[in-house]
Amino acid sequence: MLPNFNLDAPLYQRVLQGLNSLHFTDHVGAGCDLDFIKADYWLADSAVIDRLVLRKGSWDINLLFAHHTTPLRFLSRRITSHSCPKRAAMMAGFMRRLAAKDQRGTLRLSLEHLDFNCN
Amino acid sequence: MAIATKLKILESSIRLFNENGLANVRLQQIADETGISVGNLAYHFKNKDAIVSFVYESLFDELGAILSGYMGNPEFTDFDQQIGQYFSFFHKYHFYLIDLFEIDRSFPEIRTQWQNHVTKMHLQIRSRIDFYQQKGLLVTEPHEGIFDLLTNNLWMSIVFWIPQQVLKGQMVAPHYFKEAVWSQLLPYLTPKGLDAYFTLIHPILRDLDNN
Repeated sequence: MLPNFNLDAPLYQRVLQGLNSLHFTDHVGAGCDLDFIKADYWLADSAVIDRLVLRKGSWDINLLFAHHTTPLRFLSRRITSHSCPKRAAMMAGFMRRLAAKDQRGTLRLSLEHLDFNCN
Repeated sequence: MAIATKLKILESSIRLFNENGLANVRLQQIADETGISVGNLAYHFKNKDAIVSFVYESLFDELGAILSGYMGNPEFTDFDQQIGQYFSFFHKYHFYLIDLFEIDRSFPEIRTQWQNHVTKMHLQIRSRIDFYQQKGLLVTEPHEGIFDLLTNNLWMSIVFWIPQQVLKGQMVAPHYFKEAVWSQLLPYLTPKGLDAYFTLIHPILRDLDNN
């Protein structure tokens, strides 16, 4: 039969000090701590396309998010990479479908929304 | 079914140990108290030592559970809750003092476990004092070693309060127990600590007294 596990006194004292210090390190959260949700909320209304880029011998999967009414608001994010281009294309498709709010792709961006001033 | 019978044997044994002391309880008494035959008792426990080991296993599990509830929240109510649990524990197993020396002689492994748990109790109380001091609820240590003595006094109050009440022929009740423990901390509380005590703890003790 295995002996009972037991912490010796100095180690147990350190455990207790750690438990005590939790009440000094943890603070009640502020409202601004959740600002990241509001900041990234526009991504839920974005159209998503995938882009494969050959970089250093492997295919990077990038997802491009563009807001469907203000397409100038966009961001590109590298997700992962694969050595095989076919596998990368397949994974990119899965990721795009997962990330896109509009799963069937009926949302379209209009050039009119891209209000470029070429003067 | 076997587990239910074992638990009934455990409860009967604790009752008998509390009434008569460990050495004076026979297997026949345990069997009669449980409502089973001695043969049935022997099926579950080979001998009295096995019953004693089982009882102490349950005892240390309960004590371990109380110790693991340390500092669930940073207020005085956490300590008060733990004091209440200690009272229930030492009241349930008050044969521990009757048989302290018997256990020491006959069951050295139980003695070792007792010492481990007692050490943890001691360290927890000391750690609480340090914590409350850091929070500004307790004064700075007036003189070196005072808080070590306070720790020891608190520990002694918790462990030996019930037997000293029985010796004096006085009532054993949870609010007297809590008052005895808190009264040792009161002289060391800062104004902030006193405010916390009278807001959080005093109403609890008053309610217990009224009930």
